[in-house]
Amino acid sequence: MTTVSRPPARTTPAAPVTPNRRRPGVLRRVASRMRLRTRPARILGVSALAIALVATLFTVTNAAIGDARDGLRVIGHQAGPQVVATANLYFALSDMDTQLANILLNGSSVKLGFSRDQSLGLYDQDRVAADNAAIQALRLTGNDPEAQATVRELLDGMGQYEQLAARAMQLDEQSKHEAGAAPGNVLAVHRQATDLMTQDLLPKAYNLTLDSGSIVRRTYEDKRGAVLAGRWWVGLAGLAAVALLVLFQAYLSVRFRRLVNPALALATVICLAFTIVGVLLLNAEAGHLREAKVRGFDSVLALHRARAISNSMNADESRFLLDPLRADTYDQLYLSKAQSILYVPSVDLKGYDAGVNTALDPSGMPKAPMEGFLGVEAQHVTLPGQRAVVNRVMSGFRQFQRSDAKVRTLAEQGDRRGAVDTRLGDAEGHTNVDFALYDLSLGSLIDIHQQTFARAIADGDAAVAGWNVALPVTGLVVVALIVIGVRPRVAEYR
Amino acid sequence: MSRGMRTSRLRRTAAGLAVAVLALASAACGTASGATTSVTNQDAPLTIGVKADQPGLGQRNPSNGTFSGFDVDVARYIAGKLGFNSDEVEFKAVGSADREKALRDGSVDMVVASYSITPERERQVLFGGPYYVAHQDILVRSSDTSIKGVDDLAHKKLCRVNGSTSWERVIKEGDIPAEPVTAPDYGTCVKMLRDQKIDAVSTDDLILAGYAIASGGELRVVNAPFSDERYGVGLRKGDITGCEAVNKAITSMYQDATAQILLANWFDKSGLEPTTEVPQFEGCS
Repeated sequence: MTTVSRPPARTTPAAPVTPNRRRPGVLRRVASRMRLRTRPARILGVSALAIALVATLFTVTNAAIGDARDGLRVIGHQAGPQVVATANLYFALSDMDTQLANILLNGSSVKLGFSRDQSLGLYDQDRVAADNAAIQALRLTGNDPEAQATVRELLDGMGQYEQLAARAMQLDEQSKHEAGAAPGNVLAVHRQATDLMTQDLLPKAYNLTLDSGSIVRRTYEDKRGAVLAGRWWVGLAGLAAVALLVLFQAYLSVRFRRLVNPALALATVICLAFTIVGVLLLNAEAGHLREAKVRGFDSVLALHRARAISNSMNADESRFLLDPLRADTYDQLYLSKAQSILYVPSVDLKGYDAGVNTALDPSGMPKAPMEGFLGVEAQHVTLPGQRAVVNRVMSGFRQFQRSDAKVRTLAEQGDRRGAVDTRLGDAEGHTNVDFALYDLSLGSLIDIHQQTFARAIADGDAAVAGWNVALPVTGLVVVALIVIGVRPRVAEYR
Repeated sequence: MSRGMRTSRLRRTAAGLAVAVLALASAACGTASGATTSVTNQDAPLTIGVKADQPGLGQRNPSNGTFSGFDVDVARYIAGKLGFNSDEVEFKAVGSADREKALRDGSVDMVVASYSITPERERQVLFGGPYYVAHQDILVRSSDTSIKGVDDLAHKKLCRVNGSTSWERVIKEGDIPAEPVTAPDYGTCVKMLRDQKIDAVSTDDLILAGYAIASGGELRVVNAPFSDERYGVGLRKGDITGCEAVNKAITSMYQDATAQILLANWFDKSGLEPTTEVPQFEGCS
């Protein structure tokens, strides 16, 4: 811009070419309105305008790419992974409580398929998994003070829970009771533990998952909207810059009787190419964000919620058998959770069970669109390999539901031993195993969507990688070319 | 001199460009923000549907028409977090049967009225919260020690309120052979209980706690909870932004101990032991 700071005086002698006064060009009219009355002043003015437009083009492109980057960062690397971390935390905690109930349900019996020691082993695994998930969740809360406070409260509560659980197990071991009938002192401590878990810890973990989910939703709407709008801005700014450069070129070639100004022509071509690439890039980024959110994340979130709720249903079945005084409550909780997984209108579990059987075809798929997490997921089968897994999930849920009905029928008939046996057996047709199989298929379905999500985020990241260097470099090159192209023409007036 | 002129020209050019860009930008922004109605961005007043006839939860003072109760305080807190101060909030009485309709036709913007989240209702309204998980419990005369749990209701006279499912839970789902005695509402049930015409009233513990306190010690809650009733904040279907904001407000309400204070204020004297941890939310989508 040094050319601007030492312009020729207004009294510059007559121009080399007589101006055409009959038909002033567009640039000339604009220039004369701006009182750029002398030619070098006009050239400099137009150059400045061109540089300003080029700067605008690169600035809006940079801003739009920044929006895409922000979206990818929050969805792909912060709130998105936080959904998974907190859902894993919920799952591990909920399963700890399930295993605790199983341990107490088992008593000193060794004849059941699933032994006390096996439950203890799972309990310990869950405890480690919960610790790891909590630490990861704390790391991902970033600088959200409320979420941080919640994770810290969770960590405190986990310590309390483990103490209560250890106490219940100790009392249980001392009582040496038969399978299915823990004595009152064991139940009293178990109630404290399970209440802490279900009324305090699990809600906090679940709400963290939901909260991260809503951060993803808001970020998606804001940033994808900004990227889509940015596409138009880049197009508009690019066209304006290219149009001005073309007009400038035409003006110079008429006024100075030269065919092309090569530097200016190159600047024009780069600008045009940059605009096209910019618009296509932003279009692609909006697409990657959409793919990550709609085909990946939405299902990941819904299925993690379904998995969490299913696990607590599984726990409710054990609690139902363990604590006869609260059996009605656990029964009702199980029903309302089941209805949120797959909605069938019913006021009791018998009706629900019958409803599920009639609503699904023999392969396990809904005969008509259904509501509830699984009902909705079964309606959106778009990914390769997804149908087979959805099928397994649906039929797995149905099988778990059938076995649960068997457990409840046996319990109702007074056959507690039979009910506990059906609960804790180690073959298919026992709820413990049927639940594990259903949960496994749910995990596979989550993986399919998680992969789609990860791939879309990786594609989005790859597409914007390097732009923080390429963009300013290209911008400077274009500006330099404009200067190089104009400088000799202005010099002619010195 | 000429140098000064030049600078001013350049400045003018730059200013002109800036004005043009700004004009374009504001035009684009104007088209981008397609505002959807949400409780977060609507004009004051925010009209909230509450109960008018439930002591402790939502009750209208007949002399001045003001509402008070736990639900009313919770509603006021949430409205505050949504950006409405207390003179921008209007309360309106809603009955149990017309809550969905009131939300749909826009006569209220939000419902905080011992409104249990059920799958059936979720088809018509969006629920923020729950802000509290109530449990079905039993109200008896304080002198009556024969009823300690739901099973003890067998062969006792239990109030049956038309339109409420509480009695069904005992007799149909619980399979307990209690003898139903029909009444139009819970207020009448309580009167019948005091007059010894029936033995028990069973519904949500917060409702019963309100009546127990109002009876001045004549009635008490058994404290044998069965079933979960998740009290949600009813919003218009589709208002996801509003729902998320309501959940954030409820989280703060428990984190800053307001919920604990309100529960103690309204229910401490009833003998009920309320849960003081934030409930598990239903989720907004």
